[in-house]
Amino acid sequence: MAQGVRLQIDSTTGKNVLLYPEGIVELNETAHAILSRCDGRTLGEITHALAEEYEVDVNALAADVRETLSDLQQRKLVELK
Amino acid sequence: MTVPRPYALLAEITYRCPLHCPYCSNPVTVASASSAGALAKEAVPSGKPAESVALRTAIATTNNGELTTEEWKRVISEAAVLGVLQIGFSGGEPLARRDLAGLIRAAREAKLYTNLITSGIGLDDDRLRELRDAGLDSIQLSFQSDESRLADEIAGTRAHERKLDVATKIRAIGIPLSLNVVIHRRNIDRLPQMIDLAEALGAERVELANVQFYGWAFRNRAALLPTREQVDRARDLVTAAKARLAGKIDIFYVLPDYYETRPKPCLNGWGQRYLTVNPIGDVLPCPTASSAIPDLRLENVRTRDLDWIWRESESFNRFRGTEWMPEPCQSCPQRDIDFGGCRCQAALLTGNAANTDPVCEFSSDRARVDAVLRDINTSCEHTDEWTYRTNPSPVPVSV
Repeated sequence: MAQGVRLQIDSTTGKNVLLYPEGIVELNETAHAILSRCDGRTLGEITHALAEEYEVDVNALAADVRETLSDLQQRKLVELK
Repeated sequence: MTVPRPYALLAEITYRCPLHCPYCSNPVTVASASSAGALAKEAVPSGKPAESVALRTAIATTNNGELTTEEWKRVISEAAVLGVLQIGFSGGEPLARRDLAGLIRAAREAKLYTNLITSGIGLDDDRLRELRDAGLDSIQLSFQSDESRLADEIAGTRAHERKLDVATKIRAIGIPLSLNVVIHRRNIDRLPQMIDLAEALGAERVELANVQFYGWAFRNRAALLPTREQVDRARDLVTAAKARLAGKIDIFYVLPDYYETRPKPCLNGWGQRYLTVNPIGDVLPCPTASSAIPDLRLENVRTRDLDWIWRESESFNRFRGTEWMPEPCQSCPQRDIDFGGCRCQAALLTGNAANTDPVCEFSSDRARVDAVLRDINTSCEHTDEWTYRTNPSPVPVSV
């Protein structure tokens, strides 16, 4: 997660939201599943963890994970190292 | 009508400010002067012969009828219950209030994301630590330009060098930094240098907002409105910079709406997402509404709770939804996209807040905007003279 970005539950809707300067993004279930695992792990580790937990093919998942994270990276909400 | 929940509260905690920017969106005069005056009279009853003039002056000018710490804390907790997720502490200069850290702490306890919108004047290491420890999430630091001479001329005081120092301190202490620059005719040609400055200072985000004409900016419009040539050049520059810095600095560019043909979706609709509480506790659907729409009957947090004001008040319901819209908005397919534009702009330019925003090409008042643009783009004799913002002093002090 980029500096200054907070992941939080919106108590009005019960949904997960990202809060950042002057902005709020409501996360869908898949984006939240990915983001909540962004704790220093590599892209591959996150993909494998998700594939195992939800019993999905790793190869099918890899592109989606990359796309979600690069979208959030473009918006300065996550930092990929 | 179903009433949505608000997402963000702008807390204008004081109108006091050490800067004098001629585009300030604060009211040129403070409408609720009478209440501040009444408060001052109440605090120091007249007729007492030993009254201290110096003290009376001090009380009147330091408080100006501003909400107390406890009143702000109540507003913050009521806002959180209403659904607000973000709070911006603004002003005036919010650092002018010594209880700022306490208010930030209260906002964090209510799980709000806290932004400080500041000139940076008065922000030293001790104060920064105090704000960080209170849980401040992010700082938006204003700049007037990229270099002292012009920046200080715009601010009406020597501030630029201090801001550079403050920016470095903010980064050193680890609070995310946004640079906010209001763009106008005198500084629009320096956009590339401003973006370079943001990069050099390690900002995460830069907001380059073309001046919108309310408050002091409306009064100083002739000296602030850029030319079409400047606007076109700026658009290209920003597009290129955005591409170059994608993923590094988030560049947020606010267009100069007089040059657009469709109005901005102001506030994402009246009473839909935002509310503002001003220093004396008036609750506004939009920060500029008190001066632009003088017949709007404002409610105050001292007499009503925020929930009632948001849901039930005449001021928040007046332009909520689409029923209030006249033609051409009422039958326009764009009405759910731009919400008829800006109510304050309609009021200032046409005299009626319910009219279509005259920026819209379908507005019967578009000619008023075109006339302003014609003046600036055909004449070489542009005025560079503006009136600097002064701090509102609603309390007449008789000595």
